[in-house]
This record gives sequence, structure tokens and C-alpha cells, in this order.
Amino acid sequence: MSASAQEINNLINQEYKQGFVTELETDTFPPGLDDSVIHKLSKIKNEPEFMLEYRLKAFRHWQTLKSPEWAFVNFDPIDYQSISYYSAPKRKEDGPKSLDEIDPQVLEAYKKLGIPLDEQERLAGIAVDAVFDSVSVATTFKGKLKDVGVIFCPISEALRDHPDLIKQYLGSVVPHTDNYFAALNAAVFTDGSFVYIPKGVRCPMELSTYFRINAANTGQFERTLIIADEGSHVSYLEGCTAPMRDENQLHAAVVELIAMKDAVIKYSTVQNWYPGDKNGLGGIYNFVTKRADCRGDNSKVSWTQVETGSAITWKYPSCILTGDNAVGEFYSVALTNNYQQADTGTKMIHIGKNTRSTIVSKGISAGKAQNTYRGLVKVLKSAENARNYTQCDSLLVGDQCGAHTFPYIEVKQPSAQVEHEATTSKISEDQLFFCQQRGLSAEDAVSMIVNGFCKEVFKELPMEFAVEAQALLGLSLEGSVG
Amino acid sequence: MTTALASPYAAEYQTIASGLPGQELPWLAALRSEALEKFSEQGFPSLRQEEWRYTNVSAIEKKLFSPAATVAGRSIDKAWLKLYQIQDAWSVVLVDGHFSAELSDLDELPENVLIMGMTEALIKQSETLEKYINKAVNAEEHGFIAFNTAWFTDGLFVQVAAKQVLAKPIQVMHLSTKPEVLTATRTVIVIDQMAEANIIETFVGLDNAYLSAAVAEVFVGQNADLTLYKTQFESEKAYHFSGTYVKQERDARFTHHNFALGGLLARSDLHTELGQASECELNGLYLGVKRQHIDNHTRINHLKPHGISRELYKGVLDDRARGVFQGRVIVAEDAQKTDSQMNNRNLLLSSDAEADSKPQLEIYADDVKCGHGVTVGQLDEKSIFYLQSRCVDEEIARNMLTFAFANEMVDKIKIKELHDMILEQVLTRFPQEGVNKEWL
Repeated sequence: MSASAQEINNLINQEYKQGFVTELETDTFPPGLDDSVIHKLSKIKNEPEFMLEYRLKAFRHWQTLKSPEWAFVNFDPIDYQSISYYSAPKRKEDGPKSLDEIDPQVLEAYKKLGIPLDEQERLAGIAVDAVFDSVSVATTFKGKLKDVGVIFCPISEALRDHPDLIKQYLGSVVPHTDNYFAALNAAVFTDGSFVYIPKGVRCPMELSTYFRINAANTGQFERTLIIADEGSHVSYLEGCTAPMRDENQLHAAVVELIAMKDAVIKYSTVQNWYPGDKNGLGGIYNFVTKRADCRGDNSKVSWTQVETGSAITWKYPSCILTGDNAVGEFYSVALTNNYQQADTGTKMIHIGKNTRSTIVSKGISAGKAQNTYRGLVKVLKSAENARNYTQCDSLLVGDQCGAHTFPYIEVKQPSAQVEHEATTSKISEDQLFFCQQRGLSAEDAVSMIVNGFCKEVFKELPMEFAVEAQALLGLSLEGSVG
Repeated sequence: MTTALASPYAAEYQTIASGLPGQELPWLAALRSEALEKFSEQGFPSLRQEEWRYTNVSAIEKKLFSPAATVAGRSIDKAWLKLYQIQDAWSVVLVDGHFSAELSDLDELPENVLIMGMTEALIKQSETLEKYINKAVNAEEHGFIAFNTAWFTDGLFVQVAAKQVLAKPIQVMHLSTKPEVLTATRTVIVIDQMAEANIIETFVGLDNAYLSAAVAEVFVGQNADLTLYKTQFESEKAYHFSGTYVKQERDARFTHHNFALGGLLARSDLHTELGQASECELNGLYLGVKRQHIDNHTRINHLKPHGISRELYKGVLDDRARGVFQGRVIVAEDAQKTDSQMNNRNLLLSSDAEADSKPQLEIYADDVKCGHGVTVGQLDEKSIFYLQSRCVDEEIARNMLTFAFANEMVDKIKIKELHDMILEQVLTRFPQEGVNKEWL
């Protein structure tokens, strides 16, 4: 057994491939956070007055809060005064009107990441909003989307062009008082995506945002708001990478989804922030608040996440099932290696009648990593015939990692049916032996078993992402295939 | 810093301190004053403590129960006692937190078995007790433990010597007979290597509001076998806390059956630490009616390899009752080859009832097989349909199935007399048609 275990260990330790730095001239705020930073930020973004007030209100609230400590993660306190809250590639006056005007360096960076911003390239079916540090540098297919009435733009642009929608929806799912990082985000968020799908429209293509942290000493605070009006349908993808650095960088995002009557939102994430090196040095702190409100009857929100990066991941994409017959889904694969720590899971709050939720969470822990599932299923008294099914499986690779499961189940409605199941085990020797005996190498066998373990989640991902996710997992467990 | 005491109880302590047993023992006096200090700072646990997030005990602070000054052994109604007492057993009766010699029956005890009240044990066996008190329990854990350590008035000490197999069970009765009284009892059970014993802890009370706060520390020696039954039939106005903290040596077997039927607010802690290749089986049944709040908290700590744990807790909640299950399994780095399974099943019978469940796995070893499952829901519609198709009325079918759901736990009891006694108590909760004794 030891031979194969050792091989697995060797194979897991592969290099982070997105760890390059792009040399750019940037506009960067000096580190520090106070009122003046927020005023400056709001001004640079040319925001309407109400936004500045909103930010300041959130900032005041944040100052009264303490950093939460309940999660199963360990990190040194973050010095919020040593972070720069804005960094953007130098702009030519008004900012790029078309792709030709974007800094070729930035284009090159995205090309390297396999995200060509050129609309003619192979990802022709996907509209991309590319966020580079604190700003959105490009959004593709805007025109085509506009034809069907879909608004897809950086949120800073939406603040100027669609203030009514922003006023109505921003902070309505995750209020600035929600938690420490949500308050911080509300005060200093710089960019992110805004999506509005009008009534009855089925978004003709996948929408996607690619987040890239490039500058040192900065935090990325992005804000995404997706509104799917009655009967609409949208699938949204999110990807993230960052350079390799010895310092920890903070990424505190807020994502709000709002699904009206009969609307469907599918939100997929492949999170591949820099996880830190083998000794746990560096890496991104990924402290994210993601929440969906299924406001209308028969609405549906589906979260799919593949979490392979970040030194610390701390996020709970949640669904508030307000409308009758609303459906919430959460599919997650979280892979932690070396000194990575992940405390992730979901919350399903059943309020409407006949609401249903499904949770499938797969945690893989290797090296000295700690991987925690934490989830809440709450059925309120009004949620007649609510139904939940939860499955959390953990796979341990190596004897120094930890896998933990902390579900919370609260039921106040007798007609509800809630089921929770969890298992923790290691890769079975028998399975490994079987595969090897059929001629597979140990690494192929492990990769195959792990992929099989995660299959239920991968099949929920859109095609392109499924391929990427499988490759990511494969990479993590491959190495010297021969 | 103690400008304001965290609990009004702490202020009262000095008035009772001199009457507590074992004050002349320096080690115990030190433990007590340490515990008092801790309790004065913290008071009873608050909802902000993760392990107490579903159970609010602030009512206990408001009530201010006082310890019983005198023993009321004589006035106990024997017929009432008999309802809960096993005849074929050694019995120890604690009335309002004080050992009652006349109600207890310890005749024909084998020579190498010690059973005595804690007050007596602190005089005769103080050196032995010093080795055990506060050793299985983490004094830092929460306020009730500190409270018990500082306040306990009596309790039970059991020591079964190596290789002794007890022929009869031992039953310890915790009676609360007076209103507004608090009883704090401390139990130490030591089962030496290869010994075997069955011990029944019964909590009953007259129809009063009172507080019963018991702590038991249990040491199961190498290859020893202990089955512990806890039957909790406190009055429906009572506040109940009982904590059982177990240490299992190598190859030790520990089985626990927890029947929680009584109390307005009842919390039970059951923590066990497993040594190499030791096994534990934890079974529980909680039946909540009216405004009862029943909280069961278990922790299984696998410290060494090859341990096996099995846990099944079932709850039936009616009216406005609230049932809480918190189960935690910890597998330490060393504890390879651990096999652990935890299950919690809840049946909600009323739209005002609530079930909260928090099963947790905390695993630091890789070669393990651990799982847990929780369900909250309804009776299986297919089973009801089956019975209906056999000409059973729907309501009767539901009653039958609900009873059967609970009865599974009763059927696990191996002592016939105890089984019948508990069944009797469970049946009082099923007065409905369809649950008749004939087919049991």
C-alpha cells in the first residue's frame, strides 16, 4: 500500500500554471482604508451619489464588526490598512471602447490563461467579462446580447447606466449588514459583473466572468449581481486565477442572484486562485458571500462550484427558497492540498411551499490540508412539503489531512422530508488494485477514481467548464504520466 | 473583573458551601473553588456557545433553585417509587441530592464490588476518588460541569474489581421530591479490567419545577464491558441536565441506552473517548410532547486505531415540542482503521414541533470508514398504504407505525424487567387507538 500512497503523494504536488505576473503600468491607491479612500473610489468610478452613501454606510457598519472566528480555518489576522483597495491598468482617457484599445499586455495575459478576448476565437459561444484587479477590462458580445435585451456589463458601468435596477436590487439579497466581509465588500467593491435578463428571454449564450488578480498588495473586492426576470433563463460561469506570491492576498466578493417567477439561473464557478506553495506560504484568502433569492414561484437556482485553489476558501453559496415550488441546488467539489484550508458548503432556507433542494458536496483532502463541509438546511413552518436531499462525501489522500462535516438541520414543518448522508473514506485499496490489475498505472487509477467520485458534480457543469474542471483535478493528481 | 457575577447562583454559594461533602479534603476543596471561580465568570451556557445554540437555559438563571437542606427519605411514596424501580437489582436511591440508606438496597454485594453514596465514599475512599474526579470530564467545557463540581451534595461511587462479572444490574435513582429545589449529584463509575456490569441511572421527580444537574464520570478498563442505561422521566416542569463522560481503555466495550421522556427542558451530554480497538454503541430515544425541549448531545472521540462506534438516536416530536440532536465523531490522527456510523431519525407529528439536528464528522486520519445520516420527516406512505390495504384504518396505521418507530429502541434493552418498565412508560405516550399491548 505504501508504494501507491507515496506515488499519489508525489503526483499531487504539481505546479500552479497560472502563476505568472503581467508587467503593467497601473493606477494604484496607496495602501490604507478610510473615508477618503471610499470617496476617491466612488469618484474614480464616477458613481451616482446614492452609491457613495451606500458605501459609507457599509463602511461605518464594518468598523463596528469583528472578524469572525467560527470557521474551521486558521490564519493570522489581516491588516486591512496594508492593502491597496484599487489597482487598475493605466487607462487612455475614457477607457477602451473596443478590444483594439485594450492594453496588449492585458490581452496577452488573458490569452495565456486560455481566455481569448477576441470574439472570433474558439469560445465563440460565451460572452466574457474580464475583470483585471479592480476593473473590468473588456466585455465581449455586448452588442449581440443587447439585441435580445440582455444587459451584461461591468457593475461600475451599470451603476452609471442602470441606477434604477441597482437601487432596487443591490444589497437586497446580501445586505451590507450581513457579515464582516460583506460589509467590507459593500464599502470598497470595485468591479464585477451585472446581468439583467428581461422577461421571458432565454439568454442566447453562456455568460462568463474571468477574474484575475495581478497587482501585488491589493485585495480584490468584486460584486456580481444577476437578475433573472420572469420566465427567463441564464447560465453564468466564473473563473479565477492569480500570480504566485509569497504574501497572502484577500479576495472578498459578494454575489447576489435574484430569480423571479419561473426564472432559472445556473451559476458555475471554477475557482483556481493561487493556493500557496508546498509549505503553505502565500496564496489567496477567498472569503466570499454568495446568495441567491428564489423570489418567484417555480424559480430555480443551481450553484455548481469546483474549488481547487486558494490558501483559504470560505464560502457558502446559498439559496433562499421564497417562492412556492422553488428549487435550489448546490453541487460542489472542493480539493485541498498541501496547507490549503477550505470551509465551504451551502445554506438552503425553505420558505415557500413544495420547495426542493439538493446538495451534493464532494471534498477531497490531500497533503496537510483541512477540508470542511458546513451546511444548513432550514425548513420554516410555511414550507409545506419541502424536500431536501443532502449528500456529502469526503475522500482523504494521505494521513496528515483532515476532512470534516458540519451539517445543521432545522425543521419546523412536519410534512417536510429532509435527508442527510455523509461518508468519509480513503481511496479504496481494492479499487486501486483492480484498476492496476487491469493495466492502468497508479496515477491513472487515482485520477479515474477521483473523477468518478466527483462525477455527479461535473455532470452539472457546462461543457467547457466540465472539461477544464476535469483537467484541473487530473493535473492535481497526475504528474509524470507514462 | 467580577463586579457582576455571571449568575445569581454564585452569590448564594457561600451559604451552602460549609455543608458540602469532602470540604476537608484539600484536593477536592481546590477543585471546588476553581470550579466556583469558573462558574462565577461564565454562569450557565449561553446560546452563543456553539454546543448550546439550540438550547436556551436562561430560565434556570431566572428561577434560582436552592439546594435541599434536609433529606426527605421517609416521606417517599413506595408505590410511586416501584413504578420506576427494578426489583432484581442493587439499588441506590438519592433523594433531592442526598443518599438515602433506608431506601437503598445493597445486600449481598460481592466482596470486590464497592457501591456507596458519594458522601460516604469521600470519607472511606478519598484516595481512590482523587484519581478519578474531574479526570474524564473537561472542566472547561461548559458552565454545568463547573456548577456540578462546585455544588454537588452527594452521588454515587461504584467500583467493580477486575474480572468481576456482576450478576444483577445496579440501579441508581435520582429522585426530586420538592419544588424549587436544585439537586447536583456526582457519580464515579470504575469498571476495572475484564469486569462486566449493567448500570441503570433513573431520573424521576414529583410534579414540581426543580433543577436536576448530574455529572457522571465513567472509566471502563481494559477489555471490560459496561452497559449503561439512562432513563429520564423528570416531571414536565423540571429542568434537567445530565452529563456522562466516559473513558474507554484498550478493547473496552461501552453500550449506552438513553431514554429521554421527561423534563420541560432536558439536556443530556454523553462524551466517550475510545482507546485502541474499543467499541461503543450509543442508542437514544427522545419523545417530546407539549412544550418539552429535549437536547441530546453526544461526542465520540476516537483516539487510537481500530475503534468501532455505532450510534442511533430517534426522536418523535409532537405538540410544540422541540428535539435537538448534536452528535460529533472525532477521529484523531492516530486512529487509523476507525469504523464509525452515526444516525439520527426524527418524526415530526405536529406543525408546531421542531427538530434540529447537527451531526458532525471531524476526521484527521485517512484509513477510516465514517458516515452519518439524518432524516427528518414523515412515516413512509407506502407502509401506511400497505396497512390500509390490509383493512387497517389510516389513523390506526399511523399510530402503529409511530409506536413501532420508537419501539425499535426499547427492544434493544436486554434486561427484561427494565425493558418492561420502559415500555410501560413509552406506552403512556401512545394512548391512541392502534397501539395495544396484546401484539407486543
